[in-house]
Amino acid sequence: MSAPLTPPAAGLGGPTLAFLVLRLWLGLRALVAGVEKFSARVTIQEPLLGADGAPDPSGAIVEIEKKVYGISHYHAVPDTLATKFAEEPLLPQLLTRPFFAGLGPALLVLGLLLLLGVATRWTLFAMGALYTFLTIGLMLIGQDAGVSWLAIHVGLVALALTLAEHNRLALTRA
Amino acid sequence: MNPPVPASGLSRRRFLSGSAGAALALAATPPLFSIGASAEKPLRLAVIGFGAQGRVLVEALLKVPDVRIVALCDIWDYARVYGERLLKSNGLEVAGYRDVEELLAKEKDLDAAIVATPDVFHAPNTIACLRAGLHVYCEKMMSNTVEGARSMVQAMRETGRLLQIGHQRRSNPRYLVARDRLLGEARLPGRITAAQAQWNRAVSEDLGWPKKAAIPADVLAHYGYPDMHTFRNWRWFKKFGGGPLSDLGAHQIDIFNWFLGRLPSTVVASGGSDYYKNHEWFDNAMVVYEFPLAEGTARAFYQVQTTTSSGGGYFEQFMGTEGTLRISENPSLTTIYREAHAPSWEEWVRKNYLRANAAPAPEPGAKVDARETAALATYRLPVVTNKAIHQYHLENFFQAIRGRAKLNCPADEAFHSEYAIFKAIEAVETRRLVTIDEPVV
Repeated sequence: MSAPLTPPAAGLGGPTLAFLVLRLWLGLRALVAGVEKFSARVTIQEPLLGADGAPDPSGAIVEIEKKVYGISHYHAVPDTLATKFAEEPLLPQLLTRPFFAGLGPALLVLGLLLLLGVATRWTLFAMGALYTFLTIGLMLIGQDAGVSWLAIHVGLVALALTLAEHNRLALTRA
Repeated sequence: MNPPVPASGLSRRRFLSGSAGAALALAATPPLFSIGASAEKPLRLAVIGFGAQGRVLVEALLKVPDVRIVALCDIWDYARVYGERLLKSNGLEVAGYRDVEELLAKEKDLDAAIVATPDVFHAPNTIACLRAGLHVYCEKMMSNTVEGARSMVQAMRETGRLLQIGHQRRSNPRYLVARDRLLGEARLPGRITAAQAQWNRAVSEDLGWPKKAAIPADVLAHYGYPDMHTFRNWRWFKKFGGGPLSDLGAHQIDIFNWFLGRLPSTVVASGGSDYYKNHEWFDNAMVVYEFPLAEGTARAFYQVQTTTSSGGGYFEQFMGTEGTLRISENPSLTTIYREAHAPSWEEWVRKNYLRANAAPAPEPGAKVDARETAALATYRLPVVTNKAIHQYHLENFFQAIRGRAKLNCPADEAFHSEYAIFKAIEAVETRRLVTIDEPVV
C-alpha cells in the first residue's frame, strides 16, 4: 500500500510545520479527551496523618477526593448533558446509546492514529465527522457554547485537511 | 501537648496537666479506629439505667468488640424488660435488676458499670460501683449538686478505679482534630475574642407512659418520686436533674473549657420558666462567661432554648481575629470561616485539616450597608465519623481499662468543667455576676 515510513523532507517549510502543529494539537486533543472520559473524582477515606507521616493520635479518618482512571469510570458526556440528551425526542436512544458507547474509544483511536500519522487524511475526516455528529446533539439540546467550541475543532480539522499534502513524519503516506 | 489557647495563671495547672496528660497518653496508643480486630476476653458490663440515654449507650455498646453486657438495672420494669428483650435479640442473655445494691451483691465478676440514671442517682450509683471494684462510665452531668459531683471524684481517688464522665465530644475525632489541629497547631481563628454555643429545641410534650406499665406508688416513693410524671420527666425537677443548662449545656460549656484550656473567671446569666408551667427548671437561658486568656479576654455566650428550634440548631463556635471555627456533633452544622485578611490556609488544606468550599456567586445588591464585611470564605472539616457519637468515648473507656489509653474525660477533669455549669445555674438563680474560683475537690 504505502511506504513504511515517510522520509523527512529535505527542508521543513512553513506549510509542513503548520500541518505538523495542527496534527499534533488535534491528535493530543482527541487522545486526552478520550482518556478523560475514563476518569472520575472519587472520595476515599484515609487516616489523617501527622507531620511525621504517622496517623493522628485522634484516630481521625478524613475524606480525600482523588481523580482516578479506569474502564469502570467511563462516561461519554457529563451526567447533566446525558440527561438532556435522553430527554431530547429527536435523539432516539437507538442512536445515542451506541454513539456514546463508542465516543471515548473513538477519540482515543483517532487521536493515536493522527499522532502516529496513520491514514492521516481519513483519520482527520473521521475526526471531523465525529465532532460534527456530536455538534448535532448539542444543537438539539441548546448547548450553544458547546456548539461553538466544537465548531472551532471542526474548523481546525478542515484546515488540516487542506494542508494534508504537506504531511511528514507519518507512518503512512495517505 | 499544650492546650490550644495558652492559659494564664498557675491556679489552673491541675486542670491543664490533666488534659495534657490524656492527650500525650492517647498519642502513645494505637488509633481508636483500629480497635476491633482483636479477640480478647470480653469485659463484662452492667448497664444501670435504661431510659432514653441508657438505650443510646446500649446501642453503641452493641457495636463495640470485646465487651459484653451481662446485667441490666432499671427501677421501671417496663423499660428493663424492653432492654432485656433488645439484648436477647442481639444474642445477649442478661440478668435484670431493679436495684443497684442487689445487682452488685449478686454479680461478682463484673469489670465495669455504665451509669445512665437520672442525675441525682449518679453519685450514689457510681460510688457504690467504684467501691465494689468496678470501673465506671457515668453519664454527665456528674450530679445535680456540686457536692454530689465532688463525692464521685473522691470515690474515684479512694478506690483507684477509673471513672469516665460522658462528655463524649472529648473522644470524637472531629472535635479532637478541631481542638488539637485547627486551634492548637494551625491557630486558625488567630486571637480568640469570643465564643458562642447553643442548643435550641422546639417545644415538646412531657413524656408519658402506658398506664398499665406505671411503677407502683411504693416503688416510686422508695426512690423519691412523688408520681409517675415526675419519674418520666425528671430532667425538669430540681431534686433529680439540673435543667437545660445541665442536660444540653453541659456538653457545650465543657467544649468552651476544653478548647480554651481553662475555666472562665466570671459568669452572668438570665433564664426563666417562660412557657412550661409544670416544670421547676427554667425553659430558656442565656449565659455569658469571661475567659481571661493569655492573649486577652474572650467572652463566651451560651444559650439553650427549649421553646424554639430556630437559630441554627446546636453547635459550638470559636471566633477570632482571623477566622471562626463552628463545630457541631452534626457534621452538616460544622463550618470554618476565614477572614479576608487572614494568612493563607493552604498549608492546612494540604495537610487535610480543612477542605475549601466553593465560593458562592456574588449577589448584586446584597450589600445594603457600606460597613458590612464581605462574606467570608468557608471551609469544611473533612474528618468523618463512621461510628455512633458515643462509641468513641466508650471505646476510650474500655481502652483505658485495658491499660492502653488514658481516659479522655476522667471525673476530676469533668468536675472542673462542670463546676462552670453549676456556677451558670447559680447566676440564673441569683441574677448576679458570679465569680468562678478554682474548685476544690
